[in-house]
Amino acid sequence: MALIAIRSLTKRYPGGVTALDGLSVEIEPGIVGLVGSNGAGKSTLLKVLLGLIAPTSGEATVFDMDVRRRGTDIRQFVGYMPEHDCLPPDASATDFVSHMALISGLPRVAARERTAEVLRHVGLYEERYRAIGGYSTGMKQRVKLAQALVHDPKLLLLDEPTNGLDPAGRDEMLELVERTGSEFGIAVIVASHLLGEIERVCNYLVAIEAGRLLRAAPLGSFTEQTGTLAVEVEEGSEALAARLSAQGLEAIADGRAVLIAISDERPYDIVRDTIVELGVPLIRIEQRRHKLEDLFRDGPVVEPPVAVAAPPPAPPAAPQVRS
Amino acid sequence: MTAPVTVSTPTGSIYDLGYRGYDGPRLGRTHAIRSLFTHSLRSAYGIGRGGRAKIAPIIFGAMAVLPAIAIVGILTLAARFGVGERFTEQSPIRYDTYFSTISTIVVLFCAAQAPELFGRDQRYGVLSLYFARALRRSDYALARIGGFAAALLILELLPQFILFVGRALVSPDIVGAVLDDLPSLPPILIQGLLSAALLGGLAMTVSAYTPRRAYATAGIIALFIIPSIISGVVAGLGSSTIGTWLTLFSPTSVLDGTNAVLFGSDFGSEFFFISLPDWAYFAAAIAGIGGTIAITLRRFALITA
Repeated sequence: MALIAIRSLTKRYPGGVTALDGLSVEIEPGIVGLVGSNGAGKSTLLKVLLGLIAPTSGEATVFDMDVRRRGTDIRQFVGYMPEHDCLPPDASATDFVSHMALISGLPRVAARERTAEVLRHVGLYEERYRAIGGYSTGMKQRVKLAQALVHDPKLLLLDEPTNGLDPAGRDEMLELVERTGSEFGIAVIVASHLLGEIERVCNYLVAIEAGRLLRAAPLGSFTEQTGTLAVEVEEGSEALAARLSAQGLEAIADGRAVLIAISDERPYDIVRDTIVELGVPLIRIEQRRHKLEDLFRDGPVVEPPVAVAAPPPAPPAAPQVRS
Repeated sequence: MTAPVTVSTPTGSIYDLGYRGYDGPRLGRTHAIRSLFTHSLRSAYGIGRGGRAKIAPIIFGAMAVLPAIAIVGILTLAARFGVGERFTEQSPIRYDTYFSTISTIVVLFCAAQAPELFGRDQRYGVLSLYFARALRRSDYALARIGGFAAALLILELLPQFILFVGRALVSPDIVGAVLDDLPSLPPILIQGLLSAALLGGLAMTVSAYTPRRAYATAGIIALFIIPSIISGVVAGLGSSTIGTWLTLFSPTSVLDGTNAVLFGSDFGSEFFFISLPDWAYFAAAIAGIGGTIAITLRRFALITA
């Protein structure tokens, strides 16, 4: 049984805005990226899954429970980190997170213990006793993540978790998300419009646009299809593009750069040899991939969500599954 | 401390103590409601919200109990000079007058503290976190209103309690004094409940509609004061029947009415030269309580979060 099953889900807001339009997808446990441009329906989908917004038509189940009828049961096991600010400035992180633990149904003593545990996990130490109003954006995002994790949910819904963070802050937040998903055995759905970030932590991607499913597939298949190699040269980009095209590659000149579509390993050698042959002054070669627009050029494709059911293969320590 | 369920990864950083899951009980919705109720009650007195948030409730609390403490002190002195009996009978501050004595303070407490509960949650976006938990929207609204009404109940009953204990201790015959005062307890409790629920419900309804603190405060004061002025003016212009019935739209006058009926005493206000039937005040109070709760529930059922 899928963790989340969505069948022809439609949400129309009064006023005629259609946020979700006949969306159908099944999501298995893992770290799932929910990508789409602003207004694609990502936040609406998360709120429907939480039972906060009633869908206009269609069905959605989380943990096999109907979001319409069993919202409170579902929410007991779901953590939600909204996109916008959601922290009272005059409370301390400890007070606020433990209050939220109580509201999640934890007994008082457990709430206090879990608060300490989860604030340590997100990397808040002495400052947890100070009022949140004085925190940096990065610290606030950590508190937002902590309140979503404090009741040890089975599913974590994160709406733009790197919003407003500087590059270092983004890295730390993404690392936290990855640890949460891969080490704690908590299923995570990360909504973002930044595919470049999501691909660093997710192993499955769901792309939506205008409330419709664009693609749902393991991360690998996205990257294969959208790969572009950018070769930037001092001069002679036109000539290079012509020569590469002659050798059967899809190459176009774009200012000082030449953009080459890559679908396998073959182009790399050809590009290297051609550059040497022509003697063009090379500045850099870089992979440009995963631009969101590239995803949206293709029609909807759904691939069976098989690869995610198994934990990600990468880190040296095998991901633990909690009993 | 339970043993870690997960095995920690083999690195030395403090980050990697290992994550422990939570296998204990999840007490669900009723526990969430109770916790939010307690939190609202504490927040109304500024507890858990930093030093500045406590200033207003402490001032209002002190003002509310001051008359009770003063009268107990005077009673003690009077008893020492042997005029205790006579003074007790003539004291202007009694069980039946106390609610109207401190009604202004209670109104100010409402205006100052009610916006803190509903307004903060909307202003800072905390509402969506509450709604994302094991609560229904109606649970949230009821727990908040209930917590605030409980805070008002404490504010209104604590001075009465001081008065009760003080009168008993001052009297030469403690048991006799307690027995004498026992018949006053039911009216005190009923009036306290009606007052806390009506004023608390109205104040919370106003603050549910605006995240802006200043607007809510102004709105609450207006709601409590303007109707009584209007009915007074209408009555003063000679249309006494309409004016008298209009008093039912003034929360403080309605509570004066229930107070007078419950304690069997005279109305304190000069506008009550034509009295309404007893049930009218109770009907108005209960309609007010039910109406404000219904409006607030509807507000939170429709609010986007």
